[in-house]
Amino acid sequence: MSQKNREGEVLTGTTILALPFEGGVVVCADSRTSTGTYVANRVSDKLVQLSDYIYCCRSGSAADTQALTDYVHYYLSQWSLDTGRIPTVKTAAHLMRRLIYQNKDQLQAGVIVAGWDPVHGGSVYTITLGGSCLELPFATGGSGSIFIAGLLDAEFSNGMDMAEARNLAKKACSHAMCRDGSSGGVIRTVVISADGVDRDYTPGNDLPFGPVAVW
Amino acid sequence: MSEMVMNSLPVDYATETSGGFSFENATRNPMIMASKGAEYLPKLTKKTGTTICGMVYKGGVVLGADTRATSDTEVAEKNCEKIHYLAPNIYCCGAGTAADTEMITQMMASQLELLRMNTHSQSRVITACTLLKRRLFGYQGHISAALVLGGVDNINGPAVYNIAPHGSTAKLNYSTMGSGSLAAMSIFESDWKEDMSEEEAVQLVKRAIGAGIFNDLGSGSNCDICILRTDGTKDYRRNDVKPNEVAPLRALVNKSSLLSMVPGLTPTIGNPLIQPHPARVSLADVDVVMETVES
Amino acid sequence: MSILEYNGAAIIAMAGDGCVGIAADRRLGAQLHTIATDFTKCFRMAPKLYVGLGGLATDVQTLHQLLEFRMNLYTLKEEREMTPQVFSHLLSHLLYEKRFGPYFVEPVVCGLDEKGEPFLSGMDLIGAPVTAKDFVVTGTCTGNLFGMCESLYKPKMNPDELFECLAQSLLSSVDRDSVSGWGGIVHIITKDNVITRELKGRMD
Repeated sequence: MSQKNREGEVLTGTTILALPFEGGVVVCADSRTSTGTYVANRVSDKLVQLSDYIYCCRSGSAADTQALTDYVHYYLSQWSLDTGRIPTVKTAAHLMRRLIYQNKDQLQAGVIVAGWDPVHGGSVYTITLGGSCLELPFATGGSGSIFIAGLLDAEFSNGMDMAEARNLAKKACSHAMCRDGSSGGVIRTVVISADGVDRDYTPGNDLPFGPVAVW
Repeated sequence: MSEMVMNSLPVDYATETSGGFSFENATRNPMIMASKGAEYLPKLTKKTGTTICGMVYKGGVVLGADTRATSDTEVAEKNCEKIHYLAPNIYCCGAGTAADTEMITQMMASQLELLRMNTHSQSRVITACTLLKRRLFGYQGHISAALVLGGVDNINGPAVYNIAPHGSTAKLNYSTMGSGSLAAMSIFESDWKEDMSEEEAVQLVKRAIGAGIFNDLGSGSNCDICILRTDGTKDYRRNDVKPNEVAPLRALVNKSSLLSMVPGLTPTIGNPLIQPHPARVSLADVDVVMETVES
Repeated sequence: MSILEYNGAAIIAMAGDGCVGIAADRRLGAQLHTIATDFTKCFRMAPKLYVGLGGLATDVQTLHQLLEFRMNLYTLKEEREMTPQVFSHLLSHLLYEKRFGPYFVEPVVCGLDEKGEPFLSGMDLIGAPVTAKDFVVTGTCTGNLFGMCESLYKPKMNPDELFECLAQSLLSSVDRDSVSGWGGIVHIITKDNVITRELKGRMD
């Protein structure tokens, strides 16, 4: 698969992550969208709702990932209407995987699908550029993810509560945004649980960064 | 059966096109271009090396654009229109290849008009945005149109969308595009505020376009403004600011008498050929009288 | 080199008072080698409508044939003459249809509309329209042509003045371009007739 960046393409050089907690999952992303070295959008929303309880974190080409999430959103709505059930995260993830795998020579998309469903509770799937789908204890993605791999390995634990998970997500994201030139802006988070979804953001001048960070 | 007969008629490609692009010359062109050592195509097409922008204010949206079109380094047109009509309540600024922005907005305007006729309802800005992004995504960036879409509808109120050539979109409070987008963005980033008045908004857009006109070489000439208000009214101000008017300066120049030529100056070969226009009979030339038929 | 410059051309369309004019050189070359000095680049599409096609000669002729065909079809179907505005749109869409495999032609259109008002438009090779009130140019020396027209053009010229303006702009421009020139032709369209004059230009 030889893919060079298409000239002038809008890319989400990104930090995205999804951390599950007891009874749900928190998804988190920075808000920078860039064209080359220019920040095309500093307040973009990389967290897209696929169904009531399922979100997707986008990284890669903005156009490709928007088209993909539009399709998956449409398929899941149709599926829900047909069956009268709410889709599982697994279904959503594998729908996404299939689209990415089947069109992998034309797409540049690495996404995380995360959410809550009554069957499995909170779950997290990552779908790579090549179209493989993996269920993980927690997931990171985008160019900023390499900077926080160690941090999350050290600090993530199963059985965190919602506040702990969201705080860790924000902390990890702000560390990535500070080290990665292609990530920045504000931190957006969405907490998904049986109670529904809760959106939140932290402005860029108030990042929980470093040992003295105030929550 | 009649349908079968119709379909079996030879399709005349010159008139009966099924829509979409024709690739008739697509194999020929690279061959002749390679054999003549010719330049790559995009250099030949006209670009709107541009500054365009749009912003949301308290009572609607304001769109702005410069009016220069360039082909390579030459100014191909000094006063072109870059704010295109999409629907009575939606306009769209275009940057990139001039033909692409012109044609995609024309096609979108017709598609939206048909949709309005079918649904008997106002066009929404999000509809225009989705139709545009789908088309651009389908062509995978080969249609070089970078758009700032702005409009007002009864459902979602005022909105500005930024649409990149590959088909990615973003809903924003203010947006700039084209080669002068950085200059224009610097103005918005310093002075845009929420809930500005119309007067303040128009002033800000003028300053943003001005920044492009004077600091970006690809942008120039005049500033067009389009205001779409939540109350359904609109104000398209063509050439609202003309900071580069040359006519008054030209009038100051004392032209040499050599520049006013006397008839008969240029030598010609033979006598002029004068062809009168053929006389055509039109309905205006005919008296239509009631004809009576005797039985 | 651009493929548009292979054969060489210089064309101007200019508006006057109730009249329009179009001027073109006569050269057909293959880069610096002159092949013919009686090549037609301006075509009469309707009594008060001319199109000037600058660019690759093979496409000039192909596109002219295609336009002639479409004009005939229009007259048969509609039983009326095509206005310059409609013609300009037709040509623009004809070119844009071949967006990814274009004809290497940059046209100019000039004519008098139903009210007898001058109409001018130009296009790039994929149909991006340029509308102007004063003049439009195309060919291999557009820089020269723009410069000459910018200085010689005056508003509200009568047919005779328009001819002199077009002729002088053209001749001076092609003198500084090695791939266009070798004589010229000027058509002035008035409400009553079309006056065609052949220019005596440098043959070097």
